[in-house]
Amino acid sequence: MKRIGFISAVLAAAALPVMLLAGCASTTANDGKIEIRMLQYKPEAVAAFEAIEKRFNETHDNIHLTIESPNEAMTVLKTRLIKEDYPDIVGIGGDINYSNFLDAELFMDISDFEVLSEIKSAYMQIEKDLEFIPQDGVYAIPYVANCAGVLYNKDIFEKNGWNIPQTWSEFTALCEKIDAETDIYPLYFGFKDTWTCLAPWNALAVGLSPADTCAQVNAGKTTFSAEYSEVAEKTKALLQYAEPNPYAYSYNDACTAFARGESAMFPIGSYAVPQIMSVNPDINIDSFPFPANENERDNVLNSGVDLQFSIMKGCKNKEAAYEVLRFMYEDETIQIYLDDQNAIPCKEGDFTLPSMLDGMKEYIENNRMSDYHDHHYPSEMSVDAMIQTYLMDSSTNSKETFLTRFDNDWVRYNRDLINKVRKYEERNK
Amino acid sequence: MKRKISSKMKTYIIMILPALILFVVFNTIPLITGAFYSLTNYRGYGSYDFVGFRNYIDLFQDARVGQSYWFTFKYAIAGTILVNLISLFLAMGLSSKIRCKGFLRGMYFVPNILGGLVVGYIFSFLFTYIIPALGNALNIEFLKNSILASEKYAWIGVLIVGVWQAVAMNTIIYISGLQTIPSDIYEASSIDGANKWQTFTKLTLPMLVPFLSINLVLSTKNMLMVFDQIMSLTKGGPAQSTESISYLIYRNGMDGGQFGFQSANAVVFFVVIVTISVIQMRMTSKKEEQL
Amino acid sequence: MSGTDKITAAVKPAKHKNGERVNIPLTILLFVGCITILFPLYMTVIIALKSPSEMTNDAMGALSLPKVFSLDNFAEAMRVTDFGHSLLNSVIITGAAIILSLIIHSMAGYVIGRAMSKNKGFKFIYFYIVSGMFVPFAILMMPLVKQTAILGIDNMFGVIILYVVFYMPMNVMLYSGYLKNIPLAMEEAADVDGASTWRTYWTIIFPMMKPMHATVAVLTALGTWNDVMTPLVIMSGSQTTTLPLAQLNFQTQFGTNYNLAFASYLLALIPILIFYIICQKQIIGGIANGAVKG
Repeated sequence: MKRIGFISAVLAAAALPVMLLAGCASTTANDGKIEIRMLQYKPEAVAAFEAIEKRFNETHDNIHLTIESPNEAMTVLKTRLIKEDYPDIVGIGGDINYSNFLDAELFMDISDFEVLSEIKSAYMQIEKDLEFIPQDGVYAIPYVANCAGVLYNKDIFEKNGWNIPQTWSEFTALCEKIDAETDIYPLYFGFKDTWTCLAPWNALAVGLSPADTCAQVNAGKTTFSAEYSEVAEKTKALLQYAEPNPYAYSYNDACTAFARGESAMFPIGSYAVPQIMSVNPDINIDSFPFPANENERDNVLNSGVDLQFSIMKGCKNKEAAYEVLRFMYEDETIQIYLDDQNAIPCKEGDFTLPSMLDGMKEYIENNRMSDYHDHHYPSEMSVDAMIQTYLMDSSTNSKETFLTRFDNDWVRYNRDLINKVRKYEERNK
Repeated sequence: MKRKISSKMKTYIIMILPALILFVVFNTIPLITGAFYSLTNYRGYGSYDFVGFRNYIDLFQDARVGQSYWFTFKYAIAGTILVNLISLFLAMGLSSKIRCKGFLRGMYFVPNILGGLVVGYIFSFLFTYIIPALGNALNIEFLKNSILASEKYAWIGVLIVGVWQAVAMNTIIYISGLQTIPSDIYEASSIDGANKWQTFTKLTLPMLVPFLSINLVLSTKNMLMVFDQIMSLTKGGPAQSTESISYLIYRNGMDGGQFGFQSANAVVFFVVIVTISVIQMRMTSKKEEQL
Repeated sequence: MSGTDKITAAVKPAKHKNGERVNIPLTILLFVGCITILFPLYMTVIIALKSPSEMTNDAMGALSLPKVFSLDNFAEAMRVTDFGHSLLNSVIITGAAIILSLIIHSMAGYVIGRAMSKNKGFKFIYFYIVSGMFVPFAILMMPLVKQTAILGIDNMFGVIILYVVFYMPMNVMLYSGYLKNIPLAMEEAADVDGASTWRTYWTIIFPMMKPMHATVAVLTALGTWNDVMTPLVIMSGSQTTTLPLAQLNFQTQFGTNYNLAFASYLLALIPILIFYIICQKQIIGGIANGAVKG
């Protein structure tokens, strides 16, 4: 009897995740400084963040900033949440994880933070669209973005006198031409790593279907079968221009192949550039937005928030956290980050963009951008693997099979969310 | 006499207690906690609602879970048989009178300590570039395409790597098993004129039964819980043909937001493997009793 | 099959030289089999010696020798992983897990092995502990993170304790299985002499299980040495790194430096390989040096 009592006591302690945010770790250290802890999820940017941390601490007497850049940061962050060992500020990506954290009410409203007004409107909108249910207030401030479309080998293009395609037919015509005239592949895919299937998919989807497709489906106003038909067709059409059996090659293989000039183009995001350059530091890369439409004006650049900051709800020193963020958003600090990473700043201003984004500049400056659709897909649904399955399916009704599954699985994986959204809609009628 | 037994029993209890306490606290309690979450829609953080047995009902209707069971079982059955055959003969070879015994034993142990990243990269490279190059050179159709890119055969690619890595561990257990067989039995049998095969089936194998049963249980369990090889080689692809149960539980439970649902999956999986292992142990312990 | 004399007899053939001839065809066969290991190992070494720009997408990418032979990758890998510290932590964790396992698991395995057939309670404990082997780690992970944090052991100590628990089912099974081969006669003799069970265990039985200690040590080391997940989730937030944790530095979301990573993996392989070679001598010679002779 005694033992059962003990077990149930321990069990109760372990089982009930106390969700009252007991306050974060910001404490006043011995030297009277306020300690602010930031956890950011990009270990590849650790050098930039160390430099930023150093500069901040040198210039501030009252606040001490610690920035952590752990490997496997999302796993680390989730375990921290379980332990209730909250950082003050988190730097994460603008994707479904943010939507989920926000839905779990982990973040603080920062709508009174003055820097918000200096952020590009397109990115503020992207941020807003990540909210499952429209929130009052602002919960994240975008820092830098990345974008995806087509990377191309500038030297090969110039040597052959090819022009940048503006429309879908120009794009396919160019691919045909490359196929006929040279012995290199027009495109290269690394579909062994299923996530890379999302790169062409997203880039096409932003041009061919509305940015709020997923929200519309959740509200019951449309279906993926209706919205994604053309996206699916065009994604599959790309296969004929790529190396045979792309499912055998990994992302890394594709980067190596493109770096060595085995293909003229590589439909992937700007994030792949460092890996490509590690194989061939002399390669001349530029990029262009995916020409998904027959009319150039309908094309949209696929761009999403790569790094954004949120203040955790339990943070005790909001003003100190703001001070840190203010410093993060000083033009000089942003430039430190940009020099280290190939990124697009989300703040308005005169920054030097990396040269491989030249072809996308016009779209960035004119806010012709839309978020990665997969930032709205629940990761457990594995849409990337579904796309791979569809691409490998050679039967005639593969598209219908795929889109029907997309619609059915969506309902199954988002059941609780759809209920929530519909309830909200009813309340706000 | 009675007092003596009870003092012995007291010692026994004291000796087993540390293990028991640790096990209850760090295995049973978290397991019960996890089982509790399987009745919720918990994401791993934030608030959650009780959903009753919804996760369990979903589980039996989920085609992806069904597919993962199919993959896992065909993998485990083929893997267990291969691993035990290979490691038994390897252990006998490595326990014989051979030259460079230390070197050879060390060598065959290496696959098990190579990290996942290395194993994944090396074998992907082997399957993607080297074997197809061989296939083209020798004009063997079957080898021309990477096995890992084939929806039908990718599981065999994973199996090859899984077996390659698992053999080391079972070999060690068989080697220590072979050490318990007194050599004069062999001497006696050779005097009786038994040939090598008879010696093996009539002497070695029966003596090894306890180790055989341990190895069967361990390798079945390891094969059923296949995870590392999937992570490093295919990530469940191509076309979701190599998603194992453990992979689904981890990927969707931890990385995705399905902690509650995947806890239900884990609970059911646990029950399934325990059942299989109990059957296995019953069968081998009957064999042991017969001897 | 019982009787100490037979076990003593088993000792002799292990030390070859005397008696039978060395089996040359078998030696050759085993060397041929080694190719399945040496070939991937060769690739690993080649990749570890190359630079990323020397990697090509064909068979030669991992087979041809590097242009310049240099150990720079190894030096750089050691720097990136803070090799000394990470190695030390890994050694401490693995070493402590092994020592605790040998003590705690062998005692439990002994009690179960001896008492299981007579006592239903111990039989139940045996199946209860062994069933723990089949619990998928993913379901335990989150509750364990919470529990270790509450108990204040979300550090190296906690990781060690968890390893002792994770490998308990397998090790208890191994020990109790091995015990079937150790005759009861000796304990009975000691019993008659009036020695306590506790004393008999430590002076007679524990040394006799030497081959199994070596096996358990190797298997536990195998499981813990390369493990990333447990230290990652349990120690998340502390600055303590282990070798596998530090090796994550080579992988980021959109890029992996395989050349450095491979150099680092080769370095990490050496200590555990040495440990295995030491232990496997124990597996062979264990019974000879044990208490059986006495």
